[in-house]
Amino acid sequence: MIEKQIIDECRGGNLNKFRILVEQTSPIAFSVAFRMLCDEDQAKDVVQETMISIWQKLNKIRSAERYKSWMYRIVINKCYDQLRRRKKNPEYKADDKTWELISDRISEQPSSDLENEETAVIISQLTNRLSPKQKAVFVLTELEELSVDEVSEITGMSKTAIKSNLWYARRRISEMVEKYL
Amino acid sequence: MNPETEKYSKVVNILKKSKPVLNSTTDIEREVIKRISGSYRTDRGISGAIEFFFGWVYIGWVRRTLITASVLLVLVFIYQQNIILKQIKYLSSQATVATEDKLINTSDRIEKKMMLYKLGGRSLSSEEVTISSGQLEQLLESVNELQVQYKDLLKLIGEDPELKKLVEKKMEENSHKKTKL
Repeated sequence: MIEKQIIDECRGGNLNKFRILVEQTSPIAFSVAFRMLCDEDQAKDVVQETMISIWQKLNKIRSAERYKSWMYRIVINKCYDQLRRRKKNPEYKADDKTWELISDRISEQPSSDLENEETAVIISQLTNRLSPKQKAVFVLTELEELSVDEVSEITGMSKTAIKSNLWYARRRISEMVEKYL
Repeated sequence: MNPETEKYSKVVNILKKSKPVLNSTTDIEREVIKRISGSYRTDRGISGAIEFFFGWVYIGWVRRTLITASVLLVLVFIYQQNIILKQIKYLSSQATVATEDKLINTSDRIEKKMMLYKLGGRSLSSEEVTISSGQLEQLLESVNELQVQYKDLLKLIGEDPELKKLVEKKMEENSHKKTKL
């Protein structure tokens, strides 16, 4: 939980406190951005932009408790922008060899966590055919383990829309898993 | 749990466990602070200049004096506008009357001059005539009366062919020209 005092002092223009806020919250923002974009550099750019937006709009936040969901919302919107820009460039499609590597890595029952690069490849392949909204719902609900209410607040979608998007995303990913892994 | 769901859960669990790691928190922090402090300094600079030039308006007595002065100015402006409007109304009504008089006089005078010109013949210049308005009116009335009587006379002559012939003969004798009524 982000301390209310830190947010209040940041609102007053205290840059040192904002430095602490960035330190505490940028890993959370990076996690979502990375899982959404599957690209480390782009995710870092999104985190930077998010932090700057937070500084500029910190007075708009109603309560410190809402800070996290507010930050998630900014990250998701910035990711949408990135994905929209990316549409112009055709997505890289993994060949069978890449799928084999992914399959091997998963079936190994990894004792250690996956590297960023490996995570990026897996998520990118599994969510390749999902729309940005479906991807956002999948990342926030399944990977970030947020509740439907929280996801609804972040994305602005209704609970029904979230459930249907999640159902569709699960089905698509299950098909991919079944087919390639 | 069917194999498809099992595989899906396995993949999702691995991804869930493998949180993307942000190695360069300090880089992001430094970059964000650098960008923010740049814009923050600019903001402060602009607000400082505004404060320097217009800050005095926040002094209580200056503010009250300015408000009073502005109210007075508005009242004076409204009063002046009323006076100007009244003057414009008065002048416009005066101008109309003067114009009408002038027109009436002008048209009347022209008519009278034309009549004198007709009566006096081309040899008589209207500018040389000195006659009172009473005499002029009397003259015009006599001309009108004469015209009416002349018409009646012509009617009477026209009705009696013998009288017509006699008059024509007399006129011919007087003017030495053949006259036809």
